[in-house]
Amino acid sequence: MSPSDKTRRLSNMAAGSSGTVVRVMRDNSDRADRLMALGVTPGASVTVLQRFPGVVFLCDHTELAVEPAVAKAIVVEVE
Amino acid sequence: MSCAQAAVREPAADPVLTLRARPRRIALVGNANVGKSVLFGRLTGQYAVVSNYPGTTVALTTGRVMLGGEVCELVDTPGVTALEGALTEDELVARRILNAGQTDVVIQVADARNLRRALMLTSQLAAIGRPMVLALNMIDEARVHGIVIDAAGLAARLGIPVIETVATEGRGIAELRDAIGRAAVPAFDAPHRSDHARLAHDLAVQYRRYRRRSAARVQERLGRLVREPLTGLPILAIVLYGMYLAVGVFGAQTLVGLIEAGLFKQFINPGAIALVNWAVPWAAARDFLVGEYGLITMGLTYAIAIVLPVVATFFFVFGFLEDSGYIPRLAIFSDRIFRTMGLNGKAVLPMVLGLGCDTMATMTTRILGTPKERLIAVLLLALGIPCSAQLATILGILGGVSFAALLTLFGVVLMQMFLVGFLAARAIPGERSEFIMELPPLRLPQLGNIVRKTLLRVRWYLGEAVPLFLIGTALLFMLSRFGLLTVLTDAMEPVVAGLLGLPRDAAAVFVMGFLRRDYGAAGLFQMSKAGHLDGVQAVVALTVMTLFVPCVANFLMMIKEQGLKAALGILGAVTVIALGTGIALNAVLRGLHVAF
Repeated sequence: MSPSDKTRRLSNMAAGSSGTVVRVMRDNSDRADRLMALGVTPGASVTVLQRFPGVVFLCDHTELAVEPAVAKAIVVEVE
Repeated sequence: MSCAQAAVREPAADPVLTLRARPRRIALVGNANVGKSVLFGRLTGQYAVVSNYPGTTVALTTGRVMLGGEVCELVDTPGVTALEGALTEDELVARRILNAGQTDVVIQVADARNLRRALMLTSQLAAIGRPMVLALNMIDEARVHGIVIDAAGLAARLGIPVIETVATEGRGIAELRDAIGRAAVPAFDAPHRSDHARLAHDLAVQYRRYRRRSAARVQERLGRLVREPLTGLPILAIVLYGMYLAVGVFGAQTLVGLIEAGLFKQFINPGAIALVNWAVPWAAARDFLVGEYGLITMGLTYAIAIVLPVVATFFFVFGFLEDSGYIPRLAIFSDRIFRTMGLNGKAVLPMVLGLGCDTMATMTTRILGTPKERLIAVLLLALGIPCSAQLATILGILGGVSFAALLTLFGVVLMQMFLVGFLAARAIPGERSEFIMELPPLRLPQLGNIVRKTLLRVRWYLGEAVPLFLIGTALLFMLSRFGLLTVLTDAMEPVVAGLLGLPRDAAAVFVMGFLRRDYGAAGLFQMSKAGHLDGVQAVVALTVMTLFVPCVANFLMMIKEQGLKAALGILGAVTVIALGTGIALNAVLRGLHVAF
């Protein structure tokens, strides 16, 4: 399996699936800083809990709710 | 370096008490919602308002703490996520305190479950270079999640004391006090900005282990029920209905009935009238105290008998919801709606807090990301969110009319808020920030904290609102005494009686409403009980009153947060919208021959 098969945007992950953050897109300057401060940094393990009406995921032991655009910027290597 | 150490070093000089020109200052710093305020309470014996969501501490709270015979000053700071990079207002406040050389020791409070995040902050604090202690708080909850932290190892690596605490139960507090004396500047090299994350990650991997998790299952299942729309929305409906039962039925009807009809009508007012008639020889002074607009018969009766019981029940129920961690989860459902209003889901916090007190909530708008969001939130709070006192009178009046009347009022108010938000989002320049929000854990609230918080808020209500009720009553008395009330009533008659279809007397109520919405609403409550208002009139009058700016205090807070120009603009817009909506609503209801 090539690496690209295993990396997904957080917004495309199914509820219940887990993975490790590979990187956070820097297309919005503020976003990456805010996510980093909340612990969403490369190496952090994430589990998607819910996709609708908003994306909710677990990062370490922090439960985070984000809008779809933010979830799209988080690149995850799926387990 | 620190107080306790200094005291130990010179025991002979003054073993009992050490005093300095400037007391040593200790700052509590940490991520949001990690328990800084609880710890503050434990260390100082003072109570700071504690809730289970970020943003409770908006201003700095200062208290005194005795450490080894020395009086030190302890500062509780708002929660921060970072001290470098793009910072919020709160974070700037925290950093200023740390940088200005006013702080001698820093206690970093960490949520033990989120070690990595906490260490990121530790790394940034190290760069600032103050002696510090790390308190791993909520260590009990971390254990429930199967997390084991090697505190001794971490302490050795960081070169600072690391203490495990459970602030809510007072565990580890004595150890923390001792450790303040051993506070040290972190010994590891402060890395470059982008490396805080890597360092924190490496440290967390090294000093944190996971065991099989024990009992977090219930919390998880409950979290899912509340979060998912299929179960979450019915739960929201049940919560709202429960609040209605507690505040609208028990508070506004049962308690108000007991206190107003029982205590005040039967004993206090007749007693006061008899006493005043016997003791005060001047008719004008008698009227001033116990007349139609008397300080006792009107001012105190409104404040204590009508509003207080409802406010107190509301604060209690609200305290329970706050501590459960439920309120922030509403952001998941409301994010989409708020986004069309130029805000994001986070705005649900100030909006729901506004149900408690709009003035406080206006201050809480600081947690929102951009100036545009803050301005819109302040506007919406002023426009549509009824505070507890007003909610009280609304429920008291319309509870007696019909459920449809209640729905009409809230429907119209919500619609107006949405409309105004929608337009404001397009008219006000600037950006909204993206929705990224941390959800605090769901917890079973502690009765003790709820009771303390309720009492604190009731005391605050008594100090804040009662004087205004009395001033308002005095003002009305003067107006009526010098015949100005009739002039005013006549002047307002075309609008009040003509366009709004209300009794002439309602003009006096609107004058009161300008001082405090709830005071005006209390006046409506009396009118409705006396049978002067029919269903439609009650709905129209309350809708207008709800859309008014809440009170003088809220207006002052608006000036403080947004400046005089913006505040005046909001005041003008809100007044026009309130009257316009009332006129339209009256026309529609009359046109459709609705009778509630």
